[in-house]
Amino acid sequence: MMTKSLKVLQTLLFAVVIISLAACGAQPATSTTEPAMPTDTVVAPADTQAPAQEVTLTLGSWRTDDAEAWAKILTAFHDKNPNITVKFDPTNPPDYNATLRTQLETGTGPDLFFVRSFATGLDLFKQGYVASLKDLPGLADSVSAASNAPWATDSGEPYAVPIAAVSHGIYYNQDLFAANGIAVPTTWEELMAAAKKLQDAGVTPFANGTKDEWDINEVVLMSIIPNEIGGRDGRIAYLTGKSCFNDAKIVDSFQRIKDLTPYLPNGFTATSYSDSTQLFTQGKAAMLFDGSWQISAIEKEAPSFKWSVFAVPPPAGKDEYVSFHVDAAIGMNPASKNQEAAKTFLQWLETTEFNDAFANNVPGFFPMSKAATTINDPVAATFLSFNSKAKGTDIRFPWEKLMDAPSGQESAYTVMNAGAIAVLKGDKTPQQAADDLQAALALWYDPAKGCKNN
Amino acid sequence: MTQALIKTKEKKPISLKNIYSPSLRQEAWKNGKWFLFLLPALLVYIIFMAAPLFDSLRLSLYTGEGFSPTTFVGLGNYIELFTNPLWVERFSGAVLHTCIFFGIHMLVQNSLGLFFAVLLSSKFKGRDFFRTIIFTPATLSVLVSGFLWTLILNPQWGAVNIILEKVGLKAWALPWLGEENLALIVISLTSAWQWVGMPTVMFLAGLVGISEELIEAAHIDGASAWTTFWRIQFPLLMPVVGIIAILTFVDNFNAFDVIYAMAGARGDPGYSADLLATLFYRTGIAGEHPVGIPNMGMGAAIATMTFTILMTGVLLWLFLSRRQSADL
Repeated sequence: MMTKSLKVLQTLLFAVVIISLAACGAQPATSTTEPAMPTDTVVAPADTQAPAQEVTLTLGSWRTDDAEAWAKILTAFHDKNPNITVKFDPTNPPDYNATLRTQLETGTGPDLFFVRSFATGLDLFKQGYVASLKDLPGLADSVSAASNAPWATDSGEPYAVPIAAVSHGIYYNQDLFAANGIAVPTTWEELMAAAKKLQDAGVTPFANGTKDEWDINEVVLMSIIPNEIGGRDGRIAYLTGKSCFNDAKIVDSFQRIKDLTPYLPNGFTATSYSDSTQLFTQGKAAMLFDGSWQISAIEKEAPSFKWSVFAVPPPAGKDEYVSFHVDAAIGMNPASKNQEAAKTFLQWLETTEFNDAFANNVPGFFPMSKAATTINDPVAATFLSFNSKAKGTDIRFPWEKLMDAPSGQESAYTVMNAGAIAVLKGDKTPQQAADDLQAALALWYDPAKGCKNN
Repeated sequence: MTQALIKTKEKKPISLKNIYSPSLRQEAWKNGKWFLFLLPALLVYIIFMAAPLFDSLRLSLYTGEGFSPTTFVGLGNYIELFTNPLWVERFSGAVLHTCIFFGIHMLVQNSLGLFFAVLLSSKFKGRDFFRTIIFTPATLSVLVSGFLWTLILNPQWGAVNIILEKVGLKAWALPWLGEENLALIVISLTSAWQWVGMPTVMFLAGLVGISEELIEAAHIDGASAWTTFWRIQFPLLMPVVGIIAILTFVDNFNAFDVIYAMAGARGDPGYSADLLATLFYRTGIAGEHPVGIPNMGMGAAIATMTFTILMTGVLLWLFLSRRQSADL
């Protein structure tokens, strides 16, 4: 136990050193106006845009974990377009929005950058920090309007090319399941029975915790809700005021969270997202609610047991829906000096070449363009197979309309996050958590004011 | 250097004596040359301190998205801060938590500092070693020490809970950073641990400065060590106590890094460790997760309120310490 914790400590200390070194090294790259670093062989002359000239573009992102994979993807692009070099320049995820905004406002933004879906990205577009892509050749054909909607205005003007969707599910330790004679659950009741059985055998059933708060909301509650409310159609009923946010289905969703309380690790309130991954990969917990983006992180830990993933099961008698969420798109900085080169890159994102390079270097992120894709990673393929088996898929509950609360009001995200944690800790009943959500939204979201529970 | 001085001395009739002579000083005062000497410091102060401060005050009267809000709203931000139930809850919470944070530092960090200083002022073997040890944490980066403490306090593999379980106190092995009534206290204590070297050094300097004769005289009069401390040393340390108190006050009301490292930008769990600085950061710079659209005007209003609290505290201290020195 002690040696293990020492090892963890050592690894983390090492990681801190590496990260700080990496951060030091990455800083000069954030400014496109500064002269290129001495290690760069490709230097773009600032005064020319002729395509024959060699050009270096920067690509801002929140995917610090994928720097290696992106280097490979961008090399694939460079091989096809030898004149254009794209440099991946990621920022720590929680700081990305603030950092990007500062860069754009001070004129030091990257040429290309990851754009968040819905309100956050739309806000940047409206303020003129993201270029319109309505004239980008091929975009309308290669990406469906529904896929592009999270990065388009209400009138359908797109400003970013969607590259990735993520899925959600429950990772499980196949060895522990086999040892305890448990089959993959197909209903919520079976899942709870499996958890009980594991607990009785002395195994922590679920690895999730609430220290970092966001994960209990985004990977647990948000992946339970589509099953309870009936996917997209169910969600639209709330957004249009046909259902209230404290109706029986929302209460049931919070009840599912309450069901989990006895099966979480000891001290789950101080267990962070990375602790949860560790608990699972060390075989100390049998299951982990998480997103498909975590595949490579788990593979990196090389668990000494067989593992896979299953879809979050619906309660008996309800249809299965998968939380398949739009995640990332790439947009262009209108202040970039190399617009043509940037557009060449954006068009490349719509090709099979990109899809294959992306899906197989960053397993767990699923390409969104219609170009054909082959997915090699078995777990990623399993995640994707949920979609065809389920009745439907949907994005996370609050993302489309319930995020950009006016100043001084709370978004559905914030209230649901607080509600889920309070329910888990036993500070609130599921009914109270749902009532809080309705009350908070009724303050600023018009359809919630006029809703009626039937 | 000295040679050069001597040379100029030989060439010109100005001696060091002349520089300090009243007539020269009067002359410099009269033709305004004194201003030239102030200018460098004044410029640095204006550009890096005064101008941003006033710009922040100005910003608090505006609203709009982004880093240069453009719509003038007068006192609108302040009115919203004190009337909107959500802002009232967050702001009063932040003020309360900052006061608790400050209180624990005063109680633990500064009392321990005084205690260590008294121990370290007497002569014993290994004194220098302990002096170094007590100051060492203060040389660490807060982010590093905060991160290490989150590992030590981790409920799954942290040293604290492993030790507690090993000695049979399993019931005491709590999720230290996950409980709303514990997190802030635990974080304050780790911060006090890190900075205890500062008051120790200052008290030590104060104690060393107290004349041995006074203590010897008290000893001859038959005063115990306890009485000597409370009747002689402590009263003479009062100016140091005052300075340490005001420094702790200013530091704590600006504290951000330790909370950010150990409880995130929201002061998790459930805003229970949210300080004025983290509230300001979320509002004015980062925006609320996961949308991240900052409200600079409101952020500036919160910063102005923090400034007002600090200003009131410092002025009060100046007033009290002036009166105290007048009494003496």
